[in-house]
Amino acid sequence: MNGGRDAQGGSPGRVGPRPVAGRLDVARLLACVLARELRDGEIVAFGLHAELLLAAALLAQRLHAPNLVIRHGLRVERGADLQPAAWTAERASRSHETIEYLESHDAILDVANPASPLRFCDVFLVGGLQIDREGSTNLIGIKGPDGRMSVRGPGSIGTTSIGTLARHLILFSGDHTARRFVERVDYVSVPGWRRRAAAGLEGGPSLCVTPLAVFEFQDGSMRLRSVHAHASEEDVRRRTGFPLPAGAVPRTPPPTAAERAALEVVDPFDRLAAVDLRPDGGEA
Amino acid sequence: MSRAERVLALSEAAALARDGMTIGLSGFSYQNPPMEMVRALIRRRLKDLTLVSGPTAGIETDLLIGAGCVRRVVTAGVVFERLAPIAPAFRRAAERGEIEVWECDECIWHLALKAAAWGMPHILWRGGVGSSLPELNPDLREVEEDGRRYLRVPPVQPDIVFLHAAEADPFGNVRVAREAYLGRSFSERALSLACRGPVVATVERLVDPDDVTAAPERTLLRGALVVEAPGGAHPGGVSGRYVPDLEHCREYVEAGEARRRGDPVPFQRYLERYVYGAEGPDDYLRAIGPDRLERLASRPA
Repeated sequence: MNGGRDAQGGSPGRVGPRPVAGRLDVARLLACVLARELRDGEIVAFGLHAELLLAAALLAQRLHAPNLVIRHGLRVERGADLQPAAWTAERASRSHETIEYLESHDAILDVANPASPLRFCDVFLVGGLQIDREGSTNLIGIKGPDGRMSVRGPGSIGTTSIGTLARHLILFSGDHTARRFVERVDYVSVPGWRRRAAAGLEGGPSLCVTPLAVFEFQDGSMRLRSVHAHASEEDVRRRTGFPLPAGAVPRTPPPTAAERAALEVVDPFDRLAAVDLRPDGGEA
Repeated sequence: MSRAERVLALSEAAALARDGMTIGLSGFSYQNPPMEMVRALIRRRLKDLTLVSGPTAGIETDLLIGAGCVRRVVTAGVVFERLAPIAPAFRRAAERGEIEVWECDECIWHLALKAAAWGMPHILWRGGVGSSLPELNPDLREVEEDGRRYLRVPPVQPDIVFLHAAEADPFGNVRVAREAYLGRSFSERALSLACRGPVVATVERLVDPDDVTAAPERTLLRGALVVEAPGGAHPGGVSGRYVPDLEHCREYVEAGEARRRGDPVPFQRYLERYVYGAEGPDDYLRAIGPDRLERLASRPA
């Protein structure tokens, strides 16, 4: 699929302080990175914190995946305002005019037969309090020094079953810190590559996108695919709680002219500026 | 003989709940929580409840926990989207060991209710294999069948269900707003089909039975007990009627966070102002401001 590799890549020769990127710039870049991963004819699903992936899906639909099916919460729609999945804070929202299919929440059980045209999804976006080297995620909690849960997380939401049964996972984090990216998660909401192999599960995470970099997986472990123009590779390595394979890392291709034009259509009101992410990676 | 109406007063319906019961609550994120009933339950000072809420729960669950009514929670998550990634009272109570969490995800939450509705001893489910759920939740035992691993999901059966919806007729037909498009229904049916006792629907308004027969595709449930409670989901929203009150939810979250960090005063003040000090819907509407709901009303084209 379009990997955006023909696009210009950053400015590696730059010295001195890096430009400060705003939230909107970074959210737009991440939407492009995610859009490049979505393939024509797939069904993409997401739940909470949906705006970024919805933007990515709408972008992909415009650019290279006209038959991408967007499952935005409990509805399938033909493009809409960038909104959360289960509610809107907007009194005059008109997104109901774009809906072609509505269902009740228990449709999320329809994940085990990937052959059905009514299947829940092919691609699923997952985040976590912790994400580890093999792509396992954790929304359950964090252990203290005594080995007991010291921080209670929100809970696994829909991630466990959908993430276990979906064959293609994309991981996302709104920050990039060594607290988030750990060698081994304390609890597993969605198993990564080794755990999946041990459990006899197919597929797994293909990508992990952060405000600073893009990881991919090789032999079941994360490695850097690219570092965003506003970040430094050294900083990314320092902020990742496990060693990453050495070697030159390219810059993330910035949004192309076509992507920028599509973003203007998909997000005319700059709603991506509200996506919860830290352009500088957050407090290390 | 005439057909029996199924309309109750809020206090009559709240009196059906007792200490130690397993209570199903509607709601998904900020949508359709039965808040008027939750406030009535807290005023009854109920104890040791097991909540089956969500599947992704919000303020209805967090407020009951914060008020000390809850011993156990069956939910896939308790969050305040955009305001707090982890609900404050849930987090505090779980970290202090004051509540137990029946660790699951949304699919397993639904399956446990299906098992109750279908009368099955368990359902085998492949989602969750390889995760920490079976280690944290001893009810989810991992088993092998035909060389594949599964989780055994047992039934979860509420004693009573409280839900909030847009409309109902006096005979207990509960329906969504015509303009509801954020998903017509969330977990109302799953909870109600699993329930061993009454299903109580607070609704924005009672409608004529003829309205219901004119559009049966909007009817979500039948056989419910009905309580009229306009604004009854606030500060949550009702799909097609009003949007969630994020400003109020922020006030709540900040109070909960303050308490989690050691200052109990703002949370106590919240409870006094919006729960204990508001004996009924009219008091509550006064507490939030008379035009508050008006300012949240949906205006679909």
